[in-house]
Amino acid sequence: MPADTTLQDAPSLPTSRRRKLVMRAPKFSFANLLNDLRKLVRYRDLLYTLSVHRIKVRYKQSILGVSWAIIQPLAMVVILTVIFSFIVRMPSEGLPYALFAYVALLPWNYLSTSLTSSTNGLVSHAHLITKVYFPREILPLTYVVAALFDFLIASTVVVALLIYYRVPFTLNILYVLPIMVILTLFIIAAALVLSAAQVRFRDVGVAVPVALQVWMFASPVLYPLTAVPARLQAVYQLNPMAGIIESLRRVVLHGAAPDITALSVSASISVALLVVSYCYFKRIESTMADVV
Amino acid sequence: MLDIEFNQVSKKYLIRKPSAQDGGSRWRNLLRRRADFWAVRNVSFAVERGEALGIIGHNGAGKSTILKLLSSITAPTSGEIVVDGRLAALIEIGSGFHPELTGRENVYLNGVLLGMRRREITAKLKSIVEFAGVEQFIDTPVKHYSSGMYLRLGFSIAAHLDPEILLLDEVLAVGDAAFQAKCLDRVTELRRAGTTIVFISHNLHAVSRLCERTLLLNRGEVLMDGPTNEAIAEYERILFHLTPSAPHGDPIIAKPQDAEIVSLTFQDSSNRQTNSFRTGDSLRAVVQYEVTKAIEDAVIEVYFYSIFGNLHCHFSTGTEGPPLTLSPGTGVVEFFCPEVALEAATFNVDVGIKRRGSRASEFVDCKRAAVLNVTIGKTVAGAFHMPHSWSLGQTNSALVGEPLDADLKLARLN
Repeated sequence: MPADTTLQDAPSLPTSRRRKLVMRAPKFSFANLLNDLRKLVRYRDLLYTLSVHRIKVRYKQSILGVSWAIIQPLAMVVILTVIFSFIVRMPSEGLPYALFAYVALLPWNYLSTSLTSSTNGLVSHAHLITKVYFPREILPLTYVVAALFDFLIASTVVVALLIYYRVPFTLNILYVLPIMVILTLFIIAAALVLSAAQVRFRDVGVAVPVALQVWMFASPVLYPLTAVPARLQAVYQLNPMAGIIESLRRVVLHGAAPDITALSVSASISVALLVVSYCYFKRIESTMADVV
Repeated sequence: MLDIEFNQVSKKYLIRKPSAQDGGSRWRNLLRRRADFWAVRNVSFAVERGEALGIIGHNGAGKSTILKLLSSITAPTSGEIVVDGRLAALIEIGSGFHPELTGRENVYLNGVLLGMRRREITAKLKSIVEFAGVEQFIDTPVKHYSSGMYLRLGFSIAAHLDPEILLLDEVLAVGDAAFQAKCLDRVTELRRAGTTIVFISHNLHAVSRLCERTLLLNRGEVLMDGPTNEAIAEYERILFHLTPSAPHGDPIIAKPQDAEIVSLTFQDSSNRQTNSFRTGDSLRAVVQYEVTKAIEDAVIEVYFYSIFGNLHCHFSTGTEGPPLTLSPGTGVVEFFCPEVALEAATFNVDVGIKRRGSRASEFVDCKRAAVLNVTIGKTVAGAFHMPHSWSLGQTNSALVGEPLDADLKLARLN
């Protein structure tokens, strides 16, 4: 028998360090929820490794590599600028249309890339889900992280555009951070629900791109919020993306403070959605391996 | 102290009933009644710290469901499972590998998937790579690895988890002999260090080597929980009862009008019909056939497959003797083997009739004609028993020992 490389024997751990795990039929309880979160924290290295891996694989073997994260939205802006400032005139709050559109396209792309890719995130990893246990929410989360990475790369262009068009910076630009946190929470909530639902109903994966297209035109991405007729404004504002995009434009392009009330409303909605969707996800998770 | 506890655990799967004709209304299909299937029903058992428990049973007895429940891949429908300690499952080694990533990147990816921390992996990286023997290729994408390297790396990662509880599936059945020996060494090492082990296998021999206690499952219920040799004996008894000696498989008959296998039976040294033999026993295989049209230069063959589908050996009328012509009517051909060389395991036996030189069994090919059960007789270390004798010689004589009278009948068997 080859005895070339033997391992040191596992040091027998003291009993207190052992982790007792009790498994029962899925049932909602606050303690369970807390337990799930603790498990997620314990597996944080998996979240990190898988996300890095996701980003690496995407740009591996491509010559332009990460610059694709910039090229994609930039190409879109060029097309839109040609259409909306030379062919048709689109009001853009007195700003260059390219800048006006790009600032909205970035968060929109973040949302749409996250959701389209994470929806399939569980189903495409069926081989792992049926073989190994780990907190399944990590899979959709990694797609959100990868999309956030793209967002960060692409936002360097915003800085360049701001300097080029001589838009003044103000301290209000710091509001970008809380707005992005709210957007991310909202995206995670949606990603959890969609990916879990996709395991049961594959229709979700087909419906998401269609819904995103409709949603984009129902959000002030290509046009300003002021272009929406006054009598529709109330209904229009129910779309959480409307408030988020509008706030981003205000703090980045106009140097103004966002509507704090509106922002706190969307923050509470995002957090509430996240709690509900996490519970739903965990419910589906317990028997996911049987149906995926 | 208990490491694993199953308290009245049941697991129900929903199976969609196949509708009479597919199509119909999509909505009706959605509402179609589903049938319950209890993969595991009211199972209770406990495993002591440091104990090695074997779990055996037929396919569909609930073995893999128990494994999935233990590793929390799926939740029980009712009951409670308590696992006390860090658990690692050696199931389907390397299933988390990504072909585009290098060996090193995959070690990290697989390690964190199994629940390790990154710095833990960094600390063990050297040892993992050395154990797998892939030092030179660690920065090569694993898509360029041979399947052996792939397996070794996968096993090495899992083996470095330093688990307190180890779940073993049929993993030990893959890879080459050296690798298997290494795996078993490592498992034995862990066992000696006090690791609790649950071993789920079809390989009764391996179970009896590793576990002192075994759980016998049948249709999702515990049929027996006791010393391994008793559980294995009981399993064999059931297996023997369930297996008729007449062909019950699906004969794939190229020309059904030409030939048919009527039965395949085994007889022991006292001409008693049985399906259970011990390594070293003599065995007589009796094939009864019926031929409707004369077949010239025919070859009748009996194949012994492991339950994983590997051909272990075969009997053939074609290896020696005069050409065989089968004339119409029924006939019997007997194969005699003075010493069964197979290791203790269960084998599926196929029978075929073909013309000499043709590769496939063109006249009749009877899959799973019988099951042969080999239990521990003469000690087998390795894959099979090689008949041999020995004698003492003088160390100072010119000849060191007499040339051994090794019986090479094995060559014929294989």
